[in-house]
Amino acid sequence: MTLVANRPAAGAARPYAFPEIRRVSVAGGTVIAAHLPGQLLASSLLMLDAGAAHESAGREGTATVLAKSLEEGTKTRDSAAYALALEGLGAELSASVDWDSFRVSVPAPVPLLLDAVRLAAEAARTPRLDPEDVTRVRDDEVTALRMDWAQPGPRADAALRADLFGAGDRYGRPLHGDPTSVAAVTVDDVAAYHDSWLLKPGVLLIAGDLDTLDLTALGEAAFAGTTGAGATAEGPLAWETRAQRRVILVDRPGSVQSTLRIGHRAPERATPDYVPMTLAATVLGGAFTSRLNHLIREVRGYSYGIRGSYAMTRRFGRFEVAAGVQTAVTVPAITDTIGEIARTQLDGVTEEELAVARSWRAGQLSVEMQTPGAIVGALSTLVLHGLPDEYYATLRREYLEATVEQVSAAAAAHLHPKGLTLVVEGDAAVIRDELVAAGIGELVDAEI
Amino acid sequence: MVSEDRSSPVVCVNLWYDVGSRHEPAGQTGFAHLFEHLMFEGSVHVKKTEHMRLVQGNGGSLNATTNPDRTNYFETMPSEHLELALWLEADRMGGLVPALTQETLDNQREVVKNERRQRYDNVPYGDAWLRLLELLYPEGHPYHHATIGSMEDLNAASLDTFKAFHQQYYAPNNCVLTVVGDAGPDEVKRLAEKYFGELAPVPDIPPAPAGHIAGPATTPVRETVTAAVPASRIYLSHRTHPFGTKGYDAITLLATILGNGRGSRLYQRLADGKRIAQPDYIGSYGVDLAHAPAPLIVTATTKDGVDVAELEDGLSEVIGSLVTEPVTDEELGRAKAMLTTAWWRSMSTVGGRADTLGRYATQFGDPATVAYRLPQWLAITADDVTEAAAYALKPESRVTLTYVPEGKEGKDA
Repeated sequence: MTLVANRPAAGAARPYAFPEIRRVSVAGGTVIAAHLPGQLLASSLLMLDAGAAHESAGREGTATVLAKSLEEGTKTRDSAAYALALEGLGAELSASVDWDSFRVSVPAPVPLLLDAVRLAAEAARTPRLDPEDVTRVRDDEVTALRMDWAQPGPRADAALRADLFGAGDRYGRPLHGDPTSVAAVTVDDVAAYHDSWLLKPGVLLIAGDLDTLDLTALGEAAFAGTTGAGATAEGPLAWETRAQRRVILVDRPGSVQSTLRIGHRAPERATPDYVPMTLAATVLGGAFTSRLNHLIREVRGYSYGIRGSYAMTRRFGRFEVAAGVQTAVTVPAITDTIGEIARTQLDGVTEEELAVARSWRAGQLSVEMQTPGAIVGALSTLVLHGLPDEYYATLRREYLEATVEQVSAAAAAHLHPKGLTLVVEGDAAVIRDELVAAGIGELVDAEI
Repeated sequence: MVSEDRSSPVVCVNLWYDVGSRHEPAGQTGFAHLFEHLMFEGSVHVKKTEHMRLVQGNGGSLNATTNPDRTNYFETMPSEHLELALWLEADRMGGLVPALTQETLDNQREVVKNERRQRYDNVPYGDAWLRLLELLYPEGHPYHHATIGSMEDLNAASLDTFKAFHQQYYAPNNCVLTVVGDAGPDEVKRLAEKYFGELAPVPDIPPAPAGHIAGPATTPVRETVTAAVPASRIYLSHRTHPFGTKGYDAITLLATILGNGRGSRLYQRLADGKRIAQPDYIGSYGVDLAHAPAPLIVTATTKDGVDVAELEDGLSEVIGSLVTEPVTDEELGRAKAMLTTAWWRSMSTVGGRADTLGRYATQFGDPATVAYRLPQWLAITADDVTEAAAYALKPESRVTLTYVPEGKEGKDA
């Protein structure tokens, strides 16, 4: 054998540092920028306090239709001219909505970023919003949602969300609405949403070579013609842990896999348990060697992959496990999944598992934050959750210092195997009886 | 190959093995891809599942991919773990076979079947690529069968057949190792010698079956699939030129002008313009295969109430316009600007740079040729694009794959 038998030890670690952050207040808004010397590309993100939570009941998807309407021409040029101007810079606009914010981002080569931000602001601040165009974009979005909902997953996601947050609550409806709610969105809804939320300055985030970029000019371009302040942040939603499991069946006739979405409510992003919760979820379902992936994929061969994690926003959090499993093993896969969640809740994590989770989470901070786009995303987390500039260095340290006791305590407090909602999207004719017989929880059929 | 970049304390280790599904003989389809899975399941000094645990457990990200041309493996690590990454890669290059058990093989066959269900069988239009390959390349051509392969072939093969496959192709003389990031050439060379230096080359590795085939086909082919899809969709495809040639550079520009972005002809004329195609699902792209004329794929999905025949006519007309209406300076400039950004974006991570260097060294024998790609794109003229369209996109060379929703056959879709 000509292989080296002994695993090499680690070399000396080089210190971790998040890029230097600079701030400029200009034209009523704030520019927050991270310095990436020598990068040829830069990224910008205009973040506005206009998340989907502001949408009216029954009109969920208004902000998404607005986002898609921004490129349908501006007050000064039509959509074809706008596309050519922007793409002629090698830039593409991305407008998106999440629960807490509305984001307009443009990556571009450093020398062209100012022109790209001017164009992005032109679309965000002064879109044409011609009624005929908005109507067409709305109809296209209904069709696109139907396309998306024909895939496995979105219907299961909607069923889980409705159950956890209540179908009558905005947070219980899909982030981007559903085909029915988007079809109900009117031109006036879209225009009103724009006037209420997109004319405030917001925050401009930049990642790039700050020796070359002019932050004041970028801020002036982004904030021109804006007024007002963001909305007052509202507190976290009230919730309580459930005492019973429930199973929701979403029929997908002929499906060769069952799509699983299994979860429960959890604390919001500001929870002091954020780090130990993240590490507990990493051990349970985050890393490739996690308990769930190891058992369901590697040992049982039921699935191509299974993941479990906490997702947390300003006002709510939830725990969720997601997987696609072979139809024939739907029940055993669910039983195994509940078993691993229960075991983690009861017995906590081991030092060996936690060592992997700690190093992985800490290492990912440098490994996954290489591009201007990734750095801008990291800045947006700081702004959204009011975190200090040195946050990522602190986070790294907290990951590395977390103990088995802390992480096990977080698992004990924030996993609720007996209060899970289990959504199963699959071929009901094949799996229904077995699901009922398994006695996992009361079974209801979803009307989605 | 080493590309030193000290700007961040991370390093990427990337290996390109010159083995892909084009190397697979009849009856062994899916082998190259199954190996991509088996390579994570342990080797002489690395226990089953330990590979993942050691990479993630030291802060790294990792993955591997297989395509018709090749198989690649890569991990980006905090740079103090460079040596660990090289040790892991050497151990599975030289020491996989003794550790490969029937149990592991059986389990990973199941995982691959699940992958097939998840990616191809359980998704609307999911098998389009599998169908297109069979229509584009004749039986017996190395690109005819899809990389995921046949589950029957995987089931039929014995453990020894798989072991022989690894011993044939997983050799230092069939691999390019690239390290990019926080490491210098001297250090990498020393470590590469230490871990890979004693691995024996495999003599006479058989080349893949010849991929020689005329560029564009001479007879059109058509297939219509009735399936559980939400709307009718068309894929039009042509064999063009192999990746890496001037002809393919022109196709790359052509694909961007034709169908990449809101300023493209397809978007402007069919999504905007006539409004017969869904704006989120229209576009064109080349698949960068290097060992035979590579496909250009054009796709669009009908809007509600639009007849699929009308959409096909619209697509044909826009494709035809590339020959009859010269590409304008604005269109060409837009495409070059977008390709420039895409190029630098792919270079903005150590992983992207390592994989690109590995590709150019493997496919063109010289990593320095990577420096020519962007300038060569930027040198393409409007006439080059017209010429590429006239050569490759004739209706008689076209593959037309159409999906129609169940219950809508023969009606407006």
